[in-house]
Amino acid sequence: GRAELDPSSASDKKVVLLPCKNPPSRQRVQLWLEARKQYESLQRGRRRE
Amino acid sequence: MTTLTRQDLNFGQVVADILCEFLEVAIHLILYVREVYPSGIFQKRKKYNVPVQMSCHPELNQYIQDTLHCVKPLIEKNDAEKVVVVIMDKEHHPVERFVFEMSQPPLLSISSDTLLSHVEQLLRAFILKISVCDAVLNNNPPGCSFTVLVHTRDAATRNMEKIQVIKDFPWIVADEQEVHMQEPRLIPLKTMTSDIVKMQLYVEERAQKT
Repeated sequence: GRAELDPSSASDKKVVLLPCKNPPSRQRVQLWLEARKQYESLQRGRRRE
Repeated sequence: MTTLTRQDLNFGQVVADILCEFLEVAIHLILYVREVYPSGIFQKRKKYNVPVQMSCHPELNQYIQDTLHCVKPLIEKNDAEKVVVVIMDKEHHPVERFVFEMSQPPLLSISSDTLLSHVEQLLRAFILKISVCDAVLNNNPPGCSFTVLVHTRDAATRNMEKIQVIKDFPWIVADEQEVHMQEPRLIPLKTMTSDIVKMQLYVEERAQKT
């Protein structure tokens, strides 16, 4: 189990911390990128019409 | 010309602002150079008078900003010994660790001119080293992700409390497997010593990445 930060038991002991949340996954970012490309291509198409 | 001293209330803030702005650029660049995310989300910008690649993905950018907002109070108080960008494989085992080791030397006074021009020049050298670090590192396996670790003292974590709540961005103590790597190859990238901050950057690379 991971330890929660507990300031009440604070001491001078060294600790290594990391964010509880994860960054967006590569797959999620890839999907966003594809959607953006599609949107930009649609916008370009509309401008040409 | 303004003269700042360590006793000035905002001195730690100035150092933390400079370092967090630098770390933001450095993290974006590491993610680009080490191909953690598709290159299509990165755009060329100019920072420290050199071209860098910065993500334009809103969620990723917010994540990096929230991370650094939480780290900033520790840097301000000289309580962040190391900030580490860890690249992990699909099994969440570290393959590379970019270690930013930092400390603020004792200081009596400094001119704001020196602060800006000299430090910017030194930080530029770090950015340039990160830009070309792929030449000395082996390729990472596909499907890597990343996290940021901060090495501090237990007593200092109370400085992070408020910002964690405000940002809804809680932090936890890292597991042993996230902190240590077995027999890593050590690659020193850059060291700087200035009046306001001492910093060194090195990479720990896992011997067998696949």
